[in-house]
Amino acid sequence: MSTSTLTERYVHEVVRRIPADQRDDVANELRATIADAIDARNPTDPGAAEREVLIEMGDPIRLAARYADRPLALIGPDLYPTYIRLLTLLLSTVLPLVTAAAMVVNVFENNNVGSAIGVGVDTVLNVGAQMIAWLTVIFALIDRTRYRESAAGGTPAWTPDDLPELPEARKPAFTICASAVWYTLLIGLILWQHFARPYRANGESITILNPDLWLNWIWPILAGLVTLVVLDLLRTVTRTWTFTMAIWYAAANAFFALPLAWILQEQMLFNPDFLNAIADGRPSDAVYTIAALGVLVVSAVEMVRRFREVRR
Amino acid sequence: MTVSLEELVLGQAQELRRGTVVLACLVLLEEPWYGYALLETLNKAGIPVDGNTLYPLLRRLEKQGLLTSEWNTDESRPRKFYRVSPDGSRARDALVREWQDLVTSISQLLKENR
Repeated sequence: MSTSTLTERYVHEVVRRIPADQRDDVANELRATIADAIDARNPTDPGAAEREVLIEMGDPIRLAARYADRPLALIGPDLYPTYIRLLTLLLSTVLPLVTAAAMVVNVFENNNVGSAIGVGVDTVLNVGAQMIAWLTVIFALIDRTRYRESAAGGTPAWTPDDLPELPEARKPAFTICASAVWYTLLIGLILWQHFARPYRANGESITILNPDLWLNWIWPILAGLVTLVVLDLLRTVTRTWTFTMAIWYAAANAFFALPLAWILQEQMLFNPDFLNAIADGRPSDAVYTIAALGVLVVSAVEMVRRFREVRR
Repeated sequence: MTVSLEELVLGQAQELRRGTVVLACLVLLEEPWYGYALLETLNKAGIPVDGNTLYPLLRRLEKQGLLTSEWNTDESRPRKFYRVSPDGSRARDALVREWQDLVTSISQLLKENR
């Protein structure tokens, strides 16, 4: 029997992927069948015939998987739905919680927005990658080790209760109106405290927010808020939400949120006279930083949500 | 990118044929055959199958107890011969009945709907 190197290399590639106790037997049978197939071509060029036969036999990894009765998928169809549901749950619920916790802890340690954002990004990337990697590894291992008999019983059966709500049912026109009302209220409060000077300290009427803000930072905030209200009203009336509107929404939200986060972080939000008057209730440094972060996170979430709504 | 009608039919035909290879093997292996000769016989009989499907299939049927095997070293090239076990015979009879039931059902449907 002529054992040419190409066939030997092919056989070796197949049998090294199947259980050890079957290797010799499969190898001998493969050699014989490949040699039979080469002979049947009655070749004038045995080298070319060998190549053709091996091409017909196909990828040795695929053939080995058939011999070993092993799936050619990392996670098979039985486990795939459970895998996807668990992955979605981890990334959409557990990951944000872990990230928020890491950021709050960092704020109490360093009291610095930049450092907290760094920790946030770092946590999302690292913990997110770990979640994806480990979940995939665990499911791939389960898929390879579990008994075939228990395949159906191993994963929880799907029931209609697992169905998510329809997207439309979650956001009726009411919620869009509510966000417009909330922004309007915010505008109203800012203007009211400025013109009515509602707080009395030492017989003098003073504003609650820092009057110096009216020299600069309050204007982008107000402009952003007004634009947000206009966009939400447009949306309620026309019942449309386009990509362009979402871009405007993102820009307006940035105009509103970035300066607000900045003046919170720099502790310029409140009137110094007002803070002196309520010396006991003065917010701590960490509260400012967390409030600044909160504004940024809520704005980011809103922007993403509005862009996602465009697709529907 | 749409699948042409020919490709569609080819794919569906393959689905139809998938299970028939096992049945044909169980029928043919009443006599002992070795891998490549069985492949040739099946292909000539109009049951096209690739070696990389057939050879692992034979081993699986052997593991399931439907086939037995024996190495024949009389010739210069040792070959593994397969044939049906008593269980394999019973499985074949049941599958043949199933096949005939299917043929009957389909021809009945065709008669009623043509």
